[in-house]
Amino acid sequence: METVLQTIANGILVGALYGLVALGLGLLMGVMKFLNIAHGTFIILGGYVSFWLFNLWGIDPFLSIPVVVIVMFLIGLVLYKLAFSPLLRLPTIGMRIDTSMLVTFGLIWVLDNAMTMLWTPDTRTIITTYTGETLKVFGTRFSITGLGGLGVAVLVALALYFILSRTYFGKHIRAATQDAEAASLCGINVNRVYSFSSGIAIALAGVAGVVIVSTYSINASGGLSWLLIAFVVMILAGEGNINAIIPAGVVFGLLEAGSVLVVGVPYRQAIALLVFIVVLIFKPQGLFAKKD
Amino acid sequence: MLEISHIDVYYGDLQALWDVSLTIGDGEIVTLVGSNGAGKSTLMKTISGLLKVRAGYIDFDNIRLDRLPAHRIVELGISMVPEGRRLFPQMSVLENLEMGASINPARQKRHNTLTWIYDLFPILKERAKQMAGTLSGGEQQMLAIGRALMSQPKILLIDEMSLGLSPLLVQEFCRVIQGINKSRKLTVFLVEQDVQLALSMAHRGYVIENGRIVDQGDAKLLLSNPRIKEAYLGLEQENKTD
Repeated sequence: METVLQTIANGILVGALYGLVALGLGLLMGVMKFLNIAHGTFIILGGYVSFWLFNLWGIDPFLSIPVVVIVMFLIGLVLYKLAFSPLLRLPTIGMRIDTSMLVTFGLIWVLDNAMTMLWTPDTRTIITTYTGETLKVFGTRFSITGLGGLGVAVLVALALYFILSRTYFGKHIRAATQDAEAASLCGINVNRVYSFSSGIAIALAGVAGVVIVSTYSINASGGLSWLLIAFVVMILAGEGNINAIIPAGVVFGLLEAGSVLVVGVPYRQAIALLVFIVVLIFKPQGLFAKKD
Repeated sequence: MLEISHIDVYYGDLQALWDVSLTIGDGEIVTLVGSNGAGKSTLMKTISGLLKVRAGYIDFDNIRLDRLPAHRIVELGISMVPEGRRLFPQMSVLENLEMGASINPARQKRHNTLTWIYDLFPILKERAKQMAGTLSGGEQQMLAIGRALMSQPKILLIDEMSLGLSPLLVQEFCRVIQGINKSRKLTVFLVEQDVQLALSMAHRGYVIENGRIVDQGDAKLLLSNPRIKEAYLGLEQENKTD
């Protein structure tokens, strides 16, 4: 019984992080039909920003989030200007998806190597006074950093929900997502919407990086394994269904934790891929797809 | 106020409009009629900035339109009801109307404009919270027109208003559009496949064939023009001489 409860607790904590990891990828895909293969690499970059803020100035990782958000948002704007916006001139959405994959694939090599050169290939992690501490509730242990990650994931998801459903700017994002041309006929500057969405998506990757570097660890070429998780969660949530991403992450976290209990830790990644394939075959529109 | 002068427009390498010139004056209802594929929607998309001109120019109150992006053209006071409505299906009726008031002066006045739109189409008020994708065809067209009016335009462009609507609804829309034109001095440019309807509603008309303007003038005169009767109204020459 205790192991089951502990497994569920672990599944929820790691699942919230999985959701957070997928938010930025899902946003770019939903809004612009850009598949950012370098998403995991930007997660790592955000982790490094937090790592250096902690190492050089002793800033707590969770308190460094606002700084990471601003830095990564600006990187997202530059990325849009240099790499994404030229792709909008492609005649079809399919070509846009394909080319965005190629462009961001190239970006992985550039960023991976740049980060390795700048910061060595060493694995980095942030050790604070509360790292490794746990909170015990009814015999179930919750790690403090894991709870912090859960809190961040929930707050970020709520903020994103609020922006998209209540603010004029968020509604512009949704309008441009549903019909970019009709949005421009309403007087919406779609180019600006895209540029800010890229900024937000990269900032979200950065936030996930902060949680990862304080809960687990990062290294310069570790982005791809996080990309895989982000992919699986995005597919589970259903394309363009931003609000379902954190719940989908939790579902995936629970699935993974449960199956680790049954078949053992070494098969963790195999299980991720299996879930990915099964969902694509049987429910390609996602588990949380809206009924139209 | 709107002057289109000798424009050529291409889709890729394919020329769609040839040397098209057209003017729309303040407070007029002008229509462009022609058969399917003649270039009507192409002209609409060009005015609203979705397509670029290769030659010629479009001028609105002495401002060159043809180099501006679509959202800037809305800011200048030209609003379009696109063919097929093009609503945001997963946004509510109210949100769709709010999107129509995205540009700045209109956004400040959106509550007043909204009251007016709800007066024109009371059903939209009842359905305010409903997703636009769940509306009936007629309601969707009301919403599309309402959304375009939310930007408080000087010119309203309507692409295929009557498409897929019952004759009764079409009559209703004509009444509303003519009403706004009279009471608000709103200039209207109407593109229609239903030639009879368009010419009976408008002050002046243009006829487009294979991407070229082939006829123009007073709408009533065009309506009685035997060539147009034969080509578009399905009336034989003999019927008239009888």
